[in-house]
Amino acid sequence: MPSHPLRVAVVCSSNQNRSMEAHSILSKRGFDVRSFGTGSHVKLPGPAPDKPNVYDFKTTYVQMYNDLVRKDKELYTQNGILHMLDRNKRIKSKPERFQNCKDKFDLVITCEERVYDQVLEDLNSREQETLQSVHVINVDIQDNHEEATLGAFLICELCQCIQHTDDMEDEMDELIQEFEEKSNRPFLHTVCFY
Amino acid sequence: PQQVIPQVVDMTTSERVVDLLNQAALIATDEKLNVLKQVQELVINKDPSLLDNFLDELIAFQTDKSIEVRKFVIGFIEEACKRDNELLLRLIANLNMLLRDDSVNVVKKAILTLTQLYKVSLQWLVRSKAVSERQEASWDMVTQMKGDVLALLDSENDGVRTHAIKFTESLIITLSPRTSDSDVPKRQEGDISLDKVPRDHSYIRYSALCEEGKAALEKLLKFMVHPAISSINLTTTLGSLATIARQRPMFMSEVVQAYETLHANLPPTLAKSQVSSVRKNLKLHLVAVLKHPCSLEFQGQISTLLLDLGMAQSEITRSTPAPREQRKRPR
Repeated sequence: MPSHPLRVAVVCSSNQNRSMEAHSILSKRGFDVRSFGTGSHVKLPGPAPDKPNVYDFKTTYVQMYNDLVRKDKELYTQNGILHMLDRNKRIKSKPERFQNCKDKFDLVITCEERVYDQVLEDLNSREQETLQSVHVINVDIQDNHEEATLGAFLICELCQCIQHTDDMEDEMDELIQEFEEKSNRPFLHTVCFY
Repeated sequence: PQQVIPQVVDMTTSERVVDLLNQAALIATDEKLNVLKQVQELVINKDPSLLDNFLDELIAFQTDKSIEVRKFVIGFIEEACKRDNELLLRLIANLNMLLRDDSVNVVKKAILTLTQLYKVSLQWLVRSKAVSERQEASWDMVTQMKGDVLALLDSENDGVRTHAIKFTESLIITLSPRTSDSDVPKRQEGDISLDKVPRDHSYIRYSALCEEGKAALEKLLKFMVHPAISSINLTTTLGSLATIARQRPMFMSEVVQAYETLHANLPPTLAKSQVSSVRKNLKLHLVAVLKHPCSLEFQGQISTLLLDLGMAQSEITRSTPAPREQRKRPR
């Protein structure tokens, strides 16, 4: 077992739905977890697919909530966005951008391939300092409420298995293979160095 | 339960260290680490004149039964030697012991620390006006440990091998000359490299180090083509080679060649998703090499590989440095 609780980051695009669902479950299970988005902006569904609500990463979940209540309370209640923002603000005050965080993790879990690519690009562009390793794993999750819930449970199970290995680095390859078989989906996996 | 003694305001730093060390001897691991970290802060940052005095007491924890405490001792050795290079004389043997620890986590931490202290030791010797016998013995031990870690590329343990790869990467960069074409990360600006080793040094042989560096690269390249290499070791090596190509463009040809060979012969042991992960990594690192001004004569090869890996020509062109930025690499 790792000597300290596994430091986990879950990352999606806007740090709203998939990463926050996983953040919520992982923190309830006692993990040292943080969540992030990699997008340049935070996007939430709007009145039409081509009219998303766009915020910057400085906007708090409460501000977004109030903004959407003002714009169309019924719509955003009915599509679950207000409920999601309400959940999010109980976890932390605002979304965070992965590329701006200099803290170190043992494990970074991304929720789609594009996000995985952005995480890899960011980690590889940083100057190496301690050479401590960080494993990056992609678990594809569609960006809707149901898939986020299922995905979060899968991520949680994966983290629990990793946490309970005697030697995480030695067993990682095998463990991921087993999980691929069990969940019937492919995981991308790599290691980067701080 | 024992009552916590409030810190007395007029206690000297030395007295505080004694007090903390006494506490550390008696308490559980979590608290012990906390207390030892306080001691380290006091003797390394607050009052380094105390370092020598309390060295033995701190190092004695290297036989502690807790892995975390032994890892702490390794970290302390690193900080102490960086603070006062002369301590290498006393501490390198301790690091050598910890490199043979029963716990892989301790061994991995020792490898990370040797990666740093190898450079520190070389710099220390190069800067010394006259090299003493004890210094020679320390350097011999560092050299032996270097060999031991290179041998760990064949360790049974995947994580130990990963750490050995990173050590090898750093060794290759140290034991080759930095040139005007070299990428130099800000943090490594002050690091020693072969070009700073005088050719008439009384103990260190420039040509021998140069050969050791080349041999390490050979070893890493050979390691990468092992048919049963793990996916993680493979991606780690791909990244190390990109770092080497950018920081030591004199090796770019070997690196591009190795990428080409790997692309044509991916290890048969990789699972389907691992192949995707490796190809993605290869793409990422090829682009990093392509962006270097010395890539000129390899652009054809690299572009072909990138096209094969599914990158659009427009994207490749965007990552190719404009010809006027390019310099011919020195022969």
